[in-house]
Amino acid sequence: MTEVETSTTEERSTVAASRASIAQLLQVEVPADAICWHRFFGALQLALIGLLFLSGALMALAYTPVPGMAYDSVDYFQFSLPLGNVVRGVHHYAWNLLLVVMGLHLLRALILGAYKAPRQIVWISGVAFFLLMPLFIITGDLLPWDQKGYWSTQVRFSIIASIPLAGDFLVQLFRGGPLTGIVALTRLYVLHILVLPCALVLLIGLHLYFLGTRGLSEPLTAGAAPRPKVPFLPTIVNRWLAVFIVSAVGLGLVAWQWPAALGDPADPTDSAFIPRPEWWVLFLNQLVAIFKGPFMVIGSAIIPGGLVFLLGALPYLDRSPERHPSKRMGVMVATAVVLAALTALSVIGYVEHFVRPEH
Amino acid sequence: MFKWLIVGIAALIGAAIVFAAAPAPDDTGVLTITARYVKTPPAGIDDPAWQRVAPVQVPVAGRLEMADVKGTVSTKALFTDDELYFLLSWEDPTCSTVKESWQFDGTQWVHLKGDEDRIALLFEIARINQFSSKSCSVVCHSPADLPRSQWHLATKSPVEKGDLWHWKAARSAPYRHADDGWLTVAGNPTGSYRETGRRADAGDGGDIKNETPDGSRPLYMQDPARRPSVPGFLLLEEAVPITDYSIFRAGDVIPYRLPVKPSASRFDVKAESRHADGRWTVMLHRKFNTGQEDDVAFDVRRRFSFAMAAFDDSGADHSKATRSLVLDFKR
Repeated sequence: MTEVETSTTEERSTVAASRASIAQLLQVEVPADAICWHRFFGALQLALIGLLFLSGALMALAYTPVPGMAYDSVDYFQFSLPLGNVVRGVHHYAWNLLLVVMGLHLLRALILGAYKAPRQIVWISGVAFFLLMPLFIITGDLLPWDQKGYWSTQVRFSIIASIPLAGDFLVQLFRGGPLTGIVALTRLYVLHILVLPCALVLLIGLHLYFLGTRGLSEPLTAGAAPRPKVPFLPTIVNRWLAVFIVSAVGLGLVAWQWPAALGDPADPTDSAFIPRPEWWVLFLNQLVAIFKGPFMVIGSAIIPGGLVFLLGALPYLDRSPERHPSKRMGVMVATAVVLAALTALSVIGYVEHFVRPEH
Repeated sequence: MFKWLIVGIAALIGAAIVFAAAPAPDDTGVLTITARYVKTPPAGIDDPAWQRVAPVQVPVAGRLEMADVKGTVSTKALFTDDELYFLLSWEDPTCSTVKESWQFDGTQWVHLKGDEDRIALLFEIARINQFSSKSCSVVCHSPADLPRSQWHLATKSPVEKGDLWHWKAARSAPYRHADDGWLTVAGNPTGSYRETGRRADAGDGGDIKNETPDGSRPLYMQDPARRPSVPGFLLLEEAVPITDYSIFRAGDVIPYRLPVKPSASRFDVKAESRHADGRWTVMLHRKFNTGQEDDVAFDVRRRFSFAMAAFDDSGADHSKATRSLVLDFKR
């Protein structure tokens, strides 16, 4: 066989494999109840993550991860480049929305008992997303090198440092030295745009794989009759694309009308600056405020970590096959109590920081 | 049940967007002046549009001779589609425009005691390090061996640039403008800040000293053939050299500093001013973008840090804003 013949044969086999994959994908069917309003959050999450990746990649084209230039590069991107304002705004709003949608997605699965056998691993891979989210926050907030991001990062580093044994090591790992400077910015930048997105993609892949192998949870009202099916391609894929386009246009319009704020440039000597927490960390801030000094670790690590652990372990704590919420009152009450506590802490935090700040 | 659930979820998502859209004001020394949009430009100080804007009281405190001076400058801002307007008002019982005018005492010419009232705003053209948090103190430099009275204004590096709007009761008010200058690194190549970093924008303007080469008497007087366009002031374009000093009587006064007709970029910042009831009220306005490199280009989507200083019958001594200021635009 000549080289040309070998090459042609390889090309043919590749094309054949691709065709086979597409044919296989065309044969994939999912239950028709996948298209219902309360299963909408997963598709929306994928769309938002896609928008975050896309807008983040565009911003990275203009970003300079150097303390003296980072702020100006963000400022330049947002105000001097065409649609920079919209792209940064989409990144900002997609992130805020993602946190809400992730919460709702988890809550739906919890209320409907979707974590029960045989889908325990689907649930656990979903809960694992909540371990990545704080890392995205820690690494992303510093990047604009504005006052809020810089001083919020300082506060977070001090909270992380309170974790026994590992705290100082973790801070050193993030910061790379005694001060938050160019090494910290470079490390957090690489984590934010490379390491964490890769981890997120991997996690999404695992979550979808487990979902594919373990199946979608049945509707609570499902009878013994087999569930009607719809093809994955094009029905589900088209739905995702539609959600993506609607989200992109919607968030783009919001960003156009209400641009994402860019504060003043960071001044590491201005220790009088007190950043106010974002809405999504208000409860955590209050927890840290309740447990002061040597007990800070209770609020900063033990309680939040314990909650995530309990959440992950839920399929093994609630083993009964019963899925209807009214027949799982223990789980429902515990969920309500935790939600009420988080809401109360957030409201108290909001009042303390925004309505009548003491400082 | 489901209907209410959907409404609740939509409300939650809406609330998240609203929270995200509203930037949280941080606890900081920064004082925000919000410019409000008006379709029609305010015609002047008394335009009703100003009544619809709440003033921000900018605290100012003195230094040097004015160390015990404390007060506030009531600050309002408006913007149209292409122009920014400030209305600044502050207490000053005396209207000082003397600026060392000449007075003939019957035998010789002497300088009257007295300076002028002024107000100055400083914006960033290119980022000035720490300006947003420490305001104009970061551009007030001096080598350690110089007393504070000889400190000058300058940026630390050539890439840092400021835009200086300097309204002067005796020297710029007659032409209804604020002298438009810019700030850069000190002129001294040693960078010791022994020289100021202040530069005038392109164009004519400023003032000249009205004195003979020996500095003993005024050089110019009002052109007798022309009626003063701004009574009480002697504009250079309306001045003629004095040829006969015998026409003056004891007590006659001639201004010492003669405003030069401003033009080009130096004439970008227009002004209206009035001293009444023991207060100065000054309206400053300028196009968002003059197209000049020596001017800050305003963009309503951005925040602009700025600094403010008020001068009461003084040269270098001034009261400066004790907080960092930021200008925000809201439609």
